[in-house]
Amino acid sequence: MRIFQKTHFNFIHNRKIAYGFSIILLLAGMVSLVVKGLNYGIDFRGGSEVVIRFDKNIDVGEIRSVLDAAGVSGTLKQYGMDRSFLFSTVFQGDTGQLKSLVSNALNARIPGNHHEIVRIDAVGPSIASDLKWSAVKALIASLLAILLYVGFRFEIKFATAGVVAIFHDILTVLGLFSILGGLFPFMPLEMDQSIIAAFLTIAGYSITDTVVVYDRIRERIRGQKPSEYERIFNESMNQTLSRTIITSGTVLLSVLVLFIFAGPAIRGFAFAVFSGILIGTYSSIFVAAPLVYDWLKMTKSAVRLRGNKQP
Amino acid sequence: MKNKRFNLLLIAVVTLVAVWSLWPTWRDYTFSKQLNSFGSIQDSLKYVMSHREEIEDARKKSLKLGLDLRGGMHLVMEVDQVDLFEQKAWNKDAKFSAIMQAVRAKAAQSDVRVIDLLVGEFRNENIPLSRYFYDIRNSDQEIVKKLEKESEDALNRAKEIIRNRIDQYGVAEPVITTQGSRKIIIELPGVSDENRVRNLLKGTAKLEFRLLREPEVMVRTLDRINTYLAQNSLSAPAKAPLAPDSSSAKAPQPDSVAATPAVKPSSSNPLYDLVGVFQNGTAYTSEHSRELVLSLLRRADIQALMPLDTELLLAAKPDIGKNGEKLYPIYLVKKATELTGGVITEAKATFGSQGVQPEVLMSMNSDGTSKWARITGANIGKRIAIVLDGAVYSAPVVQSKIPNGNSVINGIESLEEAKDLEIVLKAGALPAPVRITEERSVGPSLGADYIRAGIQSLAWAFLAVSVFMLVYYKKAGIAADIALVLNILIVLSVLAGFNASLSLPGIAGIVLTIGMAVDANVLIYERIREELAEGKSVISAVTQGYDRAFSSILDSHVTTLSAAFLLYTYGIGPIQGFAVTLMIGTSASLFTAIVVTREIFHLLLAKNLMSEKSFG
Repeated sequence: MRIFQKTHFNFIHNRKIAYGFSIILLLAGMVSLVVKGLNYGIDFRGGSEVVIRFDKNIDVGEIRSVLDAAGVSGTLKQYGMDRSFLFSTVFQGDTGQLKSLVSNALNARIPGNHHEIVRIDAVGPSIASDLKWSAVKALIASLLAILLYVGFRFEIKFATAGVVAIFHDILTVLGLFSILGGLFPFMPLEMDQSIIAAFLTIAGYSITDTVVVYDRIRERIRGQKPSEYERIFNESMNQTLSRTIITSGTVLLSVLVLFIFAGPAIRGFAFAVFSGILIGTYSSIFVAAPLVYDWLKMTKSAVRLRGNKQP
Repeated sequence: MKNKRFNLLLIAVVTLVAVWSLWPTWRDYTFSKQLNSFGSIQDSLKYVMSHREEIEDARKKSLKLGLDLRGGMHLVMEVDQVDLFEQKAWNKDAKFSAIMQAVRAKAAQSDVRVIDLLVGEFRNENIPLSRYFYDIRNSDQEIVKKLEKESEDALNRAKEIIRNRIDQYGVAEPVITTQGSRKIIIELPGVSDENRVRNLLKGTAKLEFRLLREPEVMVRTLDRINTYLAQNSLSAPAKAPLAPDSSSAKAPQPDSVAATPAVKPSSSNPLYDLVGVFQNGTAYTSEHSRELVLSLLRRADIQALMPLDTELLLAAKPDIGKNGEKLYPIYLVKKATELTGGVITEAKATFGSQGVQPEVLMSMNSDGTSKWARITGANIGKRIAIVLDGAVYSAPVVQSKIPNGNSVINGIESLEEAKDLEIVLKAGALPAPVRITEERSVGPSLGADYIRAGIQSLAWAFLAVSVFMLVYYKKAGIAADIALVLNILIVLSVLAGFNASLSLPGIAGIVLTIGMAVDANVLIYERIREELAEGKSVISAVTQGYDRAFSSILDSHVTTLSAAFLLYTYGIGPIQGFAVTLMIGTSASLFTAIVVTREIFHLLLAKNLMSEKSFG
């Protein structure tokens, strides 16, 4: 079976359209990030979260009013599982108190419908700021590592364009989180630790497709004149198109399974990785390689690539 | 040919090791299945007795499930190093308190080492550390080194003490580790009584025996505080919550003849709105005003009004008033400690002489015994308060000299609490207070849901990806699928072999690995197709395909690995589980996708079972 038999897309010629599309995507995300901001989970803002599950169906409003009456202030949302609700409130050192407060109120006011507190998380403000810093450090370190590695394996222009593409991917996903955050009850898209894990996964994986394209360019560009670059780039991208799409496709398939089956705790992560890989595949064809091409054209120099020992 | 034989041997060894490492997990699973199948408890008990060793061995070596899957508590506790350094300092004055206040504020906001913050503050103020720490002749560097040692010791000691407490409480397979310079991470699988565990862990267990001052002195002190508060109209922070509480404080006042409050509450007596004083000189506060009184007593300006070297402390447990209300006695105790819990060698929870009041009996070492004899001998007729973590448990009058080093804590509500006290006293006092900064607990029912969700994701992802490979690459897809199975086996066996646990994020990592592991095969197969299209023979197309696809496979694996490694380094808890499985899976796929599939092709080619069509 073959999805792409032999393609002849003129990617390089139409690269400006892709640039435009990317810029619009990024701008929309930026605007949303500034205007609407992100929905931080307790990992990053500190606080307490309680997941309550009831035996029978119940209306959110009813629980909310009971908790209000008991003087427990916080927000109550449907949690992405059957008859379950997520109650989040400010950090309390003693989660036992919070638990008994919630439990007593619900037992007294909703006696016919047994509930169970299935999960409690509490994160203090100092931990939250630690986590934020570690996240930023991990991301920067991974981008640097990739820049160095790809720079070492190929050439610095290729590496820089690849990292720019990763930036593009992560910023777009961040923008998506801001735009779509809170819109879907089954997927609140809160920024938490797992999203950082998603970003690092995207960073590590997005470069995979890029490297596949680069590898083919490296193989073919040797000894060619700069005037031939447009043709070589286009041919390389077309030749690798099918494997780029299939490698991403298998990962997308398994992430989709995660999104559907793994439950609400993983859903935000699955969404981030899914959209990140989708965008990463797009960017390795439409952003990374064209940027390298533009850069080479600007400097008007012939590339000297490392690791090109194939016949 | 030699190389080929080596590869085959390698594959066989890896597969065997993986199966061997997962064998106990399988045994554990079949044992528990067997146990569940028995109709009666007797039957299963008999089975356990006869297979005891095997069952325990299997359990010990089987793949552990993470806290989120089996239910349990994950706690991060922070050792209060500011307090520790305060303990180490001498010559403490207002300047010192101000500096420590600043350090405390900064420490709450960041993860920088407290010692660095401390040094920074002192440098800003241009004060040498030796003014307050150790010897005046010490240089700053020497002091920093000593304090660093102290804080490191304190963290390790705290960890050991917490481990002692947990061991005595009885939790199966607790994991207790330190992180950074002040954090202790505690993982307690299968804990059901979270509240009790929390109380057990967070107390410093600092036991002190301290002399009580005379009641008249205390009444005079309270009067002085009252007057001060009336004049200063309870400075802003305390004013607001006072008003609503004053009414509730009036309610529980006992009105018996013997215990008429000496001072009638009125708005001009702010303290006596909260605190009642009996004619016999004992003072109390009601449960409603307790927090407020505690916060008042913590204020520096209020503490300045107390007689030199004394402080006001509240009782740990309330007395029950005439109308059933809870009244907390207040004591004026000397700051100097006569004896500390360090001398306690044995503690035992039991019931008191009447057989209803739980209490904890303690015995002391020889040093403590002789000191205790001297103290009790010198203070006959006086009261000695037994103070645990800043709250007075009891303040008995010394009747006679106690020569045998025995003492007792009473005023305990339940036997369970007495047992917990026994545990913390035996384990010893923490070098500095600790507090819980992060807590995550998952109930067993949610854990079961997570397991189901995890298994479903694994099964569907495997099915989807393997079927796709078969459809898209035909016969070559089989090789990729065999490699995929081996890959999953390797990930699980490495986890089991290194005693790491599998969590929900870990399962997510495996699911993701399923999608990524076949990537290498996709790259190779696409390359082989290209070579075939150029008209090469199957054998040379396969060889060329593996050789030429290798560099991009290596690059992509290295980048994914390095991202996962950084995630592991900087991430904590659940995220590390994800990073670990992703790392193992990615590394394993280098082996399975390149070596294993290649050998499969070699075998098939040798038997003439491959053709141009085998690659779809």
